[in-house]
Amino acid sequence: MSQTLNFYDEGTTWIHRLNPVTKLVFVAAVTIAAFGVDSVWWPALLFVVLELPGAVIARTALRFCKLVLGFFGPFLVILFLLQGLTYPDPGTVLAEFGPFAIKTEGLVFAGTTALRLLVMVGAFILLLLTTHPGTLMSGMQQAGLPPKIAYVISATMQIIPSFQARASAIMQAQQARGMETSSGGALSRARRLVPLMGPLLLGALTDVENRSIAMESRAFGSPHHPTAYTVVSDSRTQQAARWGMILLGVSAIVLNTLGVF
Amino acid sequence: MTTSPEKRRYPPWLLIAAGAAIILATYFYLVVWQPESLVGGAGVGPAALVALAGYLAGSALIIAGAMSRMPTSTVTLLPIAIAINIVAGQINNMVGLPLYLDSIGTVLVGLLAGPAAGAATGALSNVIWGISISPASLPFSTTQVGIGLLAGLFARWGWTRRLVTCVAAGVITGGVAAFISGPISAFVFGGANASAGRSAIVALFQTLGLDTLGAAIAQGLTVDPLDKAIAFLIAVLILRSLPSRFSTRFPFARKHAVFAPRRASALARTETADATHQEDTLQGGRA
Repeated sequence: MSQTLNFYDEGTTWIHRLNPVTKLVFVAAVTIAAFGVDSVWWPALLFVVLELPGAVIARTALRFCKLVLGFFGPFLVILFLLQGLTYPDPGTVLAEFGPFAIKTEGLVFAGTTALRLLVMVGAFILLLLTTHPGTLMSGMQQAGLPPKIAYVISATMQIIPSFQARASAIMQAQQARGMETSSGGALSRARRLVPLMGPLLLGALTDVENRSIAMESRAFGSPHHPTAYTVVSDSRTQQAARWGMILLGVSAIVLNTLGVF
Repeated sequence: MTTSPEKRRYPPWLLIAAGAAIILATYFYLVVWQPESLVGGAGVGPAALVALAGYLAGSALIIAGAMSRMPTSTVTLLPIAIAINIVAGQINNMVGLPLYLDSIGTVLVGLLAGPAAGAATGALSNVIWGISISPASLPFSTTQVGIGLLAGLFARWGWTRRLVTCVAAGVITGGVAAFISGPISAFVFGGANASAGRSAIVALFQTLGLDTLGAAIAQGLTVDPLDKAIAFLIAVLILRSLPSRFSTRFPFARKHAVFAPRRASALARTETADATHQEDTLQGGRA
């Protein structure tokens, strides 16, 4: 696992300063709109009109494109190979190779699905690029997310990098005891996972006890709502904008069902 | 905006029940009462949106309900379990194995702390994986709800005491998981997924004449039972190799004697024997 758990790209643009909940509602609204409307070009329009300019304004356009493509490229290829060649429903056949048949409907289906996913993933990546994970959690907690859930989410984000650090420490310790780490076939490599994963998991699980005692002694399970250390700013305009975005997303579906576009 | 238990307007089980009801309703809408979705040709229609919205709303309610009364010792276990899920799942996707391996932690919590805690772990695990590394895992959180729930139930029924029944429990869980995840991978992702190996299996079933939903479920049925059997086995082996003090700290594991009686120490043996005895009398009372 070479990726870190943090996409955040520091900045001071107004998109960075927005309340995280507003950005989360944007993700929801744009996803609803993309999945709810029955058209190939509609999700592409959403992506080009709403998400790309957002990334440009937040000055992370380059990383945004890289991340979206990095996630999306392989998926796109798989999707087109899968539905382009083996689309199960009857349709206009463009070309045939043995058991495979390229059908117009299959290509349209693959395209629609791909573009919808592009909108959903793009909105998510925009949120993660412009929001510090800590701010995201504080914002969600102020919006009513229970502290236990917020703890689990932020603790996991911190534990995964520390897992990596611990794994490399264990690896060095085992090498110091004479374990070969760089030779052998698949089977001996798999067997070598045991002395690496064993101490990692057992160590992590025995930590649980200490942590829970430490947290109980700091009134973690208390039913009272804790006060916030960092207060995430919010405004009337943003509140209105959140409702507005949801309404727009839903009305896009309604207009589409009524046949307006 | 206080959330003290006295002022709560509804009990936690109501949230869990409501979440389960929403998920079931979504499922029956999508699978049993098949909407004209893939047949339409032009696009997927509302099925994808219904699948996303229904499954996510249901999972959110289940998380909220299960977490509200969770003791701190379980809450601190959750991040570790979720990290195990995410790290193993990520390694699996990078290596390109046609498995998932992303539910070991879910099963672990289900065995130690019961069905509700397992379900919450599973759902949160895919939510966190979704908002941190791979957004595509987010819609599958409902599958993990099912896995955590079943892990807890099988542990309660004593299936995890012996390795044979434990593997059987994994196989059954895998079958259920395949049926839960089918609509998501067919309607939202068009049958494709992050692993090339798994997508190839879907392609194979589509050439054999199944529709996309059928192929997605069939792909799940070829992979999930094996995958979940591995997850159950690894989880049980991890928990058995820990000192028995660890698992007996969880009231659920203690009460239902989730693990085989140990021979390590006389003290542990009497304790698990007590617990089995207790459960036997409980079952006798019920029968």
